[in-house]
This record gives sequence, C-alpha cells and structure tokens, in this order.
Amino acid sequence: MSALVRALAAALATAAAAPAAAGVRPAHGGALRLGLPALPRTTDPALALDLPDVVAARATSGALLALDVRGELVPALLAEVPQPEVGGRAFRLRLRADAVTWTGAPITADDLAAAFARLASPATASPHAWAVLPVLGADAMLAGRAAALAGVQVVGERELLVTLAAPLPEFAHVLAALPLAIPGAGPFAPPPSLEPHGGAIVLAHNDRCPAGRPYLSSLALAVADGRADPRAAARALDRGDLDLVLRPEPAGPRGGPAFPATVATVAALQAGRLGSGAEAVRRALGALDRADLARRYARGPSEPMATLVPPALLPGVAAPGALALASGDAPPGFPQASRIALLVPEGASDARAAAERIQVKLFDAGVRVAVEALPRARFEARLAAGDYDVALVPVPVLSARPSLAVAQVAYAIRGPEGFRRALDALAGLPAGEVAAAAAQLESALDLVPLFASAPRATAGPAAQGLRPDPAGGFDPGELWRLGGGAP
Amino acid sequence: MRAALHAVLLALCAAAPPTGPAAPAAQQPAAPSSLADLAARLAAELGPPADGRRLAALVVETRAPALAAPLGSALDAALGSRGYSVTILRSPSEAEAAARAAGQDWLVRVQAGLVPGRRELGAVAELVPTWPSFFLQRQPGAHAVPPRVVQARVPADPETTLLARETRPAGAPFAVVRALARVPGRVLALAAGEPAAPGQPAIVAVTATALLVLTPSGEVVARRDLDASAWRPVRGPAAVVAVADLGGGRIALRLAGAPSAEVYALEGDRLARMATLPAAPLCAGDRGAVFGAFAPGTGMLLDQLSHLVDPDARPASARLLYGVTAAPHAGPVAFAALGADLRLALLGPDLTPASAPAAPGEAGGPIVLSGVGSGFALADLDGDGTPEVVASSADPSGSDRLRVLPARAGAAPLLETGPLEGAVLSGAGGDLTGDGVDDAILGAVVDGAHGEETVLLLVTGDPREVR
Repeated sequence: MSALVRALAAALATAAAAPAAAGVRPAHGGALRLGLPALPRTTDPALALDLPDVVAARATSGALLALDVRGELVPALLAEVPQPEVGGRAFRLRLRADAVTWTGAPITADDLAAAFARLASPATASPHAWAVLPVLGADAMLAGRAAALAGVQVVGERELLVTLAAPLPEFAHVLAALPLAIPGAGPFAPPPSLEPHGGAIVLAHNDRCPAGRPYLSSLALAVADGRADPRAAARALDRGDLDLVLRPEPAGPRGGPAFPATVATVAALQAGRLGSGAEAVRRALGALDRADLARRYARGPSEPMATLVPPALLPGVAAPGALALASGDAPPGFPQASRIALLVPEGASDARAAAERIQVKLFDAGVRVAVEALPRARFEARLAAGDYDVALVPVPVLSARPSLAVAQVAYAIRGPEGFRRALDALAGLPAGEVAAAAAQLESALDLVPLFASAPRATAGPAAQGLRPDPAGGFDPGELWRLGGGAP
Repeated sequence: MRAALHAVLLALCAAAPPTGPAAPAAQQPAAPSSLADLAARLAAELGPPADGRRLAALVVETRAPALAAPLGSALDAALGSRGYSVTILRSPSEAEAAARAAGQDWLVRVQAGLVPGRRELGAVAELVPTWPSFFLQRQPGAHAVPPRVVQARVPADPETTLLARETRPAGAPFAVVRALARVPGRVLALAAGEPAAPGQPAIVAVTATALLVLTPSGEVVARRDLDASAWRPVRGPAAVVAVADLGGGRIALRLAGAPSAEVYALEGDRLARMATLPAAPLCAGDRGAVFGAFAPGTGMLLDQLSHLVDPDARPASARLLYGVTAAPHAGPVAFAALGADLRLALLGPDLTPASAPAAPGEAGGPIVLSGVGSGFALADLDGDGTPEVVASSADPSGSDRLRVLPARAGAAPLLETGPLEGAVLSGAGGDLTGDGVDDAILGAVVDGAHGEETVLLLVTGDPREVR
C-alpha cells in the first residue's frame, strides 16, 4: 500500500473510530429517516450521480469490493480481492458462494458480466462507463461497434475472467466503485417504486444481504428541506421528523462526521472555440484564488484543488494562490468586445455561484462572460459536443485511488479519450509523482481544477453509524438507531 | 448429532439451578472449617504440653484484623484438646513479658494469613517457654528450654478468605480500574471462572477469530482459532461465552451467525472441542448457566432466557437484548439482562425480575437501571452479598467511562472513572485477585498499530489494590 493511501487511511481510521468511542454496540432494529437535498430518482448504480441517487443506489446494491476504515480493499460480494495476472492485464473475479439478491436469487458470474456490459452499453448511457473502459473491447461496445465486451469471459458459475486493454494494476480499486455494484444485493431491498409515501421512500431491510442484515429495520429517504433553508431541516431534526440530514450546510448544531470532499468542480476550456483568446482565458482562470472560491462560494465543506485530484485523496498539495492580472483592458490576444459563454448545469448551486464569481473576476481582467445554466441533459450534450467556451463541471468522484479519480474527472469532461490519457499519465505512479503528472495532464486536457466539496451530515440524537469511506460514500447498512427498535 | 445430544443432556444436568441450599448439607457431614483445620494441625505439630506445663498464653497476629479473634478461638479449642490451658492475650506487644508476669508456662505466638495465590491459609506458631529457670536465675529473660517453631497450611474456605481480606484504607475509592492485558482484535465476549479445575481462576475471551484463555494476571495460556467458514455474516460481530460444567468441557461459546454453540475443554495449553450445543450459552455464575439465542442475522439476543438448553424455547417478548451477565456469587440479584434500549433488568436466581426492597405494606418493584452501556458485568466488589453493576457509558457521542452502580434504581454511582481510551464493549465478573471477593473484567476496544486491539480492564475492590 502506498504511503499516500496509508496516510489517508490513518486519517479515516481516526474519523471512523469516533462513532465507537463510547461503550454502546450498534443495536439492531428500528427505523431511521434520512433527509437528503431531493428524493432519489433512481436506485441504479450505473446511473446514480447526484447525492440522493448515490445514497439510494448504495442502499440497494452490493459492492464487489469494499474499503475498510484503513483504506484497504476487502472482499464484499467477491470472495477475495482479485490479484493482477498476466502483468496486470487480467483479473479473476470469484463470487462468494452465498451471494444472493434480496429475492434469494443467486448472484452468478453471468450477473457480473451483465453488470459490466450494461455500463458499456450505449443504451444505458451511464455516466460511469469509465469503470469498464479499461476492459478489452469496451471502446468498441461503447461506440456501438460490438454487442459484448471482448474482455469479459464467464469461466464458471461464480467466476469471471476480466482482460484489460492495457495493464492497470489498480483495476481492483475500480471494482470497489459504486457503478459495478450489483442491484438487489444491498443492505436494503429496492423499493417497488420511487413514488414517495408520506413524503419518503421507505426501504425495507434485506435479510439476505451478503454483508449481513443491516442494523435498521427500514430506512426512509426524505427531502430534508426546500433546498434553500437549512433551518427547515434543523426544525425537522428537532421535531424528530428526521434523524439524519445530508446537505451542504449544517442543519443545526449537531455535526456528524466530516465527509471527504470528493465532488470536484473543474473548469473546462474549449480552445477550438476560444481561438486566439484561449490562452488569455486560461491565464485568467489560472489566476483565480481557488481558496477564496472554495471558502465563499461552496455551500458545504470544501477545499481548493491544486490538481485534478481532490485534496482529500492527495493530501499535502497546496492550491496556488491568486495571481495579479492587469485589470480593465482585455488581455493580450483576447478580442475586444467579444463575450464568452460559461456553461454550468442547473441545480449545481456551488458551480453556479462559482461561475458568477468567475464572471466578475474575468470581467475585471477584461474578459466578458455570459453564464448559462442548462438542464443536466442539455449540459451534458453540449459538453460532449464541445459546444461551449468554458464549462464548470461538478464531478462526484467515486474512487479513492488518485489515478482513477483523475481518470473519472477526465472521462466526465473529455470522454473516453480523456480517460485513456489520464490513465496513460497516472496509472501505477507512486504517490509522490501523482501531483506533478496530474498538473501536466490538466494542461494537456485544458482543464482548470477549482475546488472539491462534500455534503455535511447533521445527526439527531438517535442516528448512529454514519462512517464516510475514503471515496466520500458511506454504507447505509451500517446506520443504526440508538435504542434499536425499542418503543 | 449424538455428541450434541450427549452434551445437551449433560448440560441439562449441570445447568439446573440448585434445588436448595440445605439439601447437600443434610446428606454429608460438614467438613471442618479452614480455621479449625489449621488450628488442629498447628496443635498437632506442637504436641501435648511437656513436663506437665499446661499454662499457655496465646497471641494471634494477622494482617486482616477480622481473622485474629476467630483463629484465636479455634487455636484455644485445638490446644485445649491437646491438654493446654490457654489464656488469650489480646495485645501482641510485650507478649512474652506479659506471659511471664502472668505465670504462664508458654507463650504461643501465631502469625497467620493467606499465602500468595490466596487459596490457602498458612500459619507459623512459636512455642516460647516462659517459666523461670532455676538454673538461670541470673538471666531472667533466658528460656529454660529452646523455643520451637512449627507451621501449617490448609485450603482456605470462602468464609476464611473473606475474614482474611484486608480492610479498605480510610478514604480509599470504592474500587480501582487498571489495565490487565492487551489482546489482538476485538473481544466480543468475556467470562471469568475456573475453566480448567476448581481453584484455578482464569479469563476467557472470544474474538471473531479466536478463543483465548488468560491467567488472572493477563498471560495467554491457551488459544484456539475459530473456523468462521460456516458462519452466516452478521454486521457487528457478537459472541457469548460461559464457564461452567457443560458436558465434556467447561467453556461454551457461540458467535452470532454460527450454526451452533461449541463446548471446549482446557487441557493444559490446549483447547479441545468436545461437543456442540443447540442454544447459546449466555453466562454462568454460582446459580447456574443461562442459555438463550441470537436473533437471526443479528448480534442481538432474543428475550429468551432459560437455565435449560431448550432449542424450542420461545421469546418472552419482542425485546432484543445486548447481553446477559451472571453474578459470580449471587445474592438477591443473580443475573442481569441489558435491552437494546440500554435498560438493565436485574434478575433473581430463577431469572424472574429481582425486586427492590418495598416500603412497609407495599410490594417491591422490579429493579431496572437506565443508561447502562453495552459493556457491563455483575460483581459483588465489596463482598456485602449484593452484586454491583459495572458498566460502560450509554452515551455514544463522547469518550467512554466506567461506572460502578449499586443494584438499586436511581442510586448514585459508587465509582465513576474519567474518560477511557476506546470503547468498552464486553465484561464479566469473577474473583481474579484471589481475595475471595468478586472483581470485574471489562474489554475496551482500541485502535492499535496493527488494527483493533482490546485492553482488558480489571475493576477491583481488593484492599491491596485500592489505595
């Protein structure tokens, strides 16, 4: 294990030990109401992107591997952590013999292969196709040229051989990411529908969960507030209508454990559209005070990003401070009276606030900016088509491995080509060389990392067991209620 | 299957609660007490009075003041039966001069106490001649014949052990807490008892992967890895363990998710698996073992307590329990069951609720203590016949601490420690210091250099430790 991961793991172990600091074992039984910024729209791990969807997917899906409190990979649905074969190009995935879904159906190698194929299928349009891109034949399938993944081979009822297009020793860490989790094998059973009842979507416990029955009898996912008013969530906690709230700002005085800030907000430049002004805009963005952006314009806990790796995954690398730019006139090379479009997705409040600040700062530097907030689908379509001057892209990073985190960011903005360039630059690098390689990569991909943010947990007196993992997620099956199901 | 049935039958016999304290005493002649036995042995060593000199002054010195008078009486009787006429001197200072002044022929000076290990009572007697010698009139302090020294040792019975217990120093705390040992991994369950043979106390600890037996001072004497391959996964691993006569072995344990309980025998430094039990051995004390069951798929217990191994038993309520513990030496309170609501119900020997003393004309109610953490034990730390509750904190938000609570609802703690490192999640009661009075052992889970470790904490009221 690298020194980096060890350092990260030590920090997380400390954080994770906190809930067990007093003499009460987790109790089984009882229900818990979890307040989220919105109701989940999907429980599909291949599609979940926003926090509510990610929480719902984690609650109802079983990961192949997991990270323990020390950041080490440990088996989950797989019987063992697969070791690289053939020089890091092949991995043999063996399922646990008792792995079943909530219905009791055995989870087989065919199910595993289907999960891989589904991520690579154009029909799925998964934002997490990066998780299978290292697999041989993924490009062809993603481009619609193949119906199946050439690198996935079922070799037994519970054994799958995955062959990669190129050596990737850290591929086992991909298997711990949410997108490859198996639906129906999580701690809670998938709900019959995502229609709320009594304002919440109630998930019943899964007795057959391969990781063990969850502590709670049920988990209700509800809307914490009207998004704008944290006091509403605080009042709901006080009344006991909610037991735990995840949202950017604190909902009252009872803070929960800190989540690692792993939602990376990155500025992407479209040099082809900016033409001769690209360098000027690049310089202006590079001169932004990222610490100021993180502190003043992100609603939740946030940190400035020095590289494309969220600082929570690569501690010890300082973000650059503000650079002085000449004000008033357009910078050299930037055409007078022209205006650039700065795209942000609707609903991404941090990115929107940062965009407006950038608009002011670039105006001061002589660059006129029009902020365009677009619905998510249109935003992604224009991003994919390169139809923008500058875009602010929030990317929820799902892997704790720095190289994979960068590759995921690169995929979200620059597609499969960006992913491949990121892995070419970073795969297998020792921790001390990651920051420099990531800095080179951001120039090559014309990206400017700005800040990373996270939700904040606020817990009522009964909610226990929230343990953020190194990738910024948590296992809802570990949540428990003080007093269990006692009346 | 046959082995399991055999174990069940044996456990049924062994685990049945005593039918009444008078029954065994009526069938067998009472054994001599340790004090009478020791006195008789010393008297036998001294032999009958020489030369018809029968007058003996007796002085007894013991470190525990309570032991001196009854031992003096026993020696008076024993020496009397050998022909001495005994006068007991209450003050040991200048005893020889006092004996001479009183015209005694002999001074019998006895010093007694528990030998290290505190399972035996030892005594040294000096027989000092104190009659004036005709031939040594110019040396009045000289002895007419040489003094003799004899000694004896007998097993200490509980009453004697209690009398030999030193008194608590004035102003000393009710009990002290000190680290005894460090065990790799998270200890899920603890028991204190005599897993090898009577008179050999030990600590039994269960982790998710191993069964360990430790000496009272914390050295591991036996270890056996546990095979978890057949266990159903359970979040928050849990286990129960009991030390009692359980059919072929004296250690029985069950881990949550395991298909059955297992009985082990401690043979030297080896733990031999002897049988299986179809019920979970929750705890054991002098009022027998208690059996129950884990709630399926969880580390919590069903509200299903019985002195019998009954796989068909049904829960008395839907309540789930963190655990059940036994008082090593039961009084009105023999067992305690902690619910998921962190309320501890104190139970009598028959597993029904123990009652609080009632006001005149009123019935006493059940004793339930609120706010008890899931690391807890019953132990009569002060030897007054009623066990105290030693418990971890019930507030998961702060640092853990231990409290010693009287077995009365609403009573102030007898002891409350400062913040402790780690989380205290297991506990048991038993005499580990050998003073004849219960101690408690609690397991605090801490983060070690190589993962989780458990610090075993000794809670004792032994006056040798309470300063």
